[in-house]
Amino acid sequence: MSVNVSGQPLPQGIGRVTPGWLAVVGAAAAALAVGLYAYSREASEGLIETGLGDPGTGRGVAWGLYVAFVVYFVGVSFAGITIAALIRLFRIERLQGIARIAELLTVVALLLAALSILVDLGQPLRGIVNLFLYARPQSPFFGTFTLVISGYLFASIVYLYLDGRHDAAICARVPSRLQWFHRLWAAGYRDTPAERERHRRTTVWLAIAIIPLLVVAHSTLGFVFGLQVGRPGWYSALQAPAFVVLAGVSGLGLLIVIAAFMRRVGVARERLDEAVFSLLGRFLMVLLIAYLYFMVAELLTSTYAGSHHEQLITQALLSGEYSTIFWASVGLLVLALGLMVWQAVTHRWSIAALVAAGLFVNVAAVGKRYLIVVPSQTQGQLLPYVPGSYAPTLGEYAVVVGLFGLGVLLFALFMKVFPIVELPEEEVPAGA
Amino acid sequence: MRNVLTVLMVVVGFALQGISYFVLADPWVTTGIPSGEPRLIAAPTLFIAGVVLVFLAAVLYELLPERRGR
Repeated sequence: MSVNVSGQPLPQGIGRVTPGWLAVVGAAAAALAVGLYAYSREASEGLIETGLGDPGTGRGVAWGLYVAFVVYFVGVSFAGITIAALIRLFRIERLQGIARIAELLTVVALLLAALSILVDLGQPLRGIVNLFLYARPQSPFFGTFTLVISGYLFASIVYLYLDGRHDAAICARVPSRLQWFHRLWAAGYRDTPAERERHRRTTVWLAIAIIPLLVVAHSTLGFVFGLQVGRPGWYSALQAPAFVVLAGVSGLGLLIVIAAFMRRVGVARERLDEAVFSLLGRFLMVLLIAYLYFMVAELLTSTYAGSHHEQLITQALLSGEYSTIFWASVGLLVLALGLMVWQAVTHRWSIAALVAAGLFVNVAAVGKRYLIVVPSQTQGQLLPYVPGSYAPTLGEYAVVVGLFGLGVLLFALFMKVFPIVELPEEEVPAGA
Repeated sequence: MRNVLTVLMVVVGFALQGISYFVLADPWVTTGIPSGEPRLIAAPTLFIAGVVLVFLAAVLYELLPERRGR
């Protein structure tokens, strides 16, 4: 059935500013301002404003909170585009409603990941220029920056853009201040059968191209750590697959939280129903079980048969300096799994419980990313250096808060200019 | 025309990636001389351009207008 939407207001509250939305934007902008101020201090004074230092003789860490969040944000981006691609590839109609949120999550998370890398560099401009001029393909960093940040980000933007043309065409029929924007996005799309078929073909091919790209990209990020033979705690064959699985866990968790928030504020409630959340919950449960299996396998190997240095790191995690973060993260993951299993067994899926699980796994993922990055630098010395230490400064926390503020701001702005939940096919104007 | 252009972009994109990765960047097989410099400065940029070109092919495929009379 086709419905002509002319004369009706734009769907999903696009263009309508509400007090709640203003409050969210105000809070996000304030967080961003705090982050910008902290980064301006770092840019003018240098990395002395951070807790970073030289590993080994300097008794510090070269990679700290920022790199932990690079890994976290790249991880979050994984689930977004994976879900979106799988929905297109296997035509999972039930999840169609969250496809755009997933695509946007990927784009925003990758932008934040790129910014996290830049704030970690003492000379960001030099870093960017040298990457484009001299990067070496043998280095996992080459893959991380070219495949993850440029290729993967670009592919995700293309995906988001092409997938949005249908909805842009619908919105462009409604006279509004945003009509020019919707027309520009639609780029002449008229939803003819030929265009639909072409779009279907494109999305299938894009999905086929993106899925291997993102597995390679995320594995490459794992290899940045996993291939460092002289760094106990990092050098592990499980590093890359565990990266990919935890990426899926954190990304799916965040997707559930964002989708639940959209439902809560009344955006396309009928498309974000309980069935969508229960399916996401099942995916999350499976990934969570797989990740916990990887974690136990890695711990067992390093405690039972690990080298002396491996055992030192494991000891620092289990009962030493990092035990609080480690056990808190594990506790949150187990708690989230318990929530999932309970719901799966009782066949009663609750959105509130899923949101709680989504938040738990994300806090745990941040903790686990921190534990991947930091302990191997402070305790993982093969040479007889005194163990180092690292405590992020307020400035570092502020920059991270700013990054989250930017992410929320981008989401908030997007949802006021474009349908964040895909419009159903039925709303396509006949022969338009 | 649409199909030809799209396939051409994809082929050129992959070719750019392959050539810049294996030939123009710092060689994979070392010749004994310590290296670290790419054979062609900005070879990584060409690789990225290749990746971008492949995905831009999708945009071109969808955006090219229909042939008249169809």
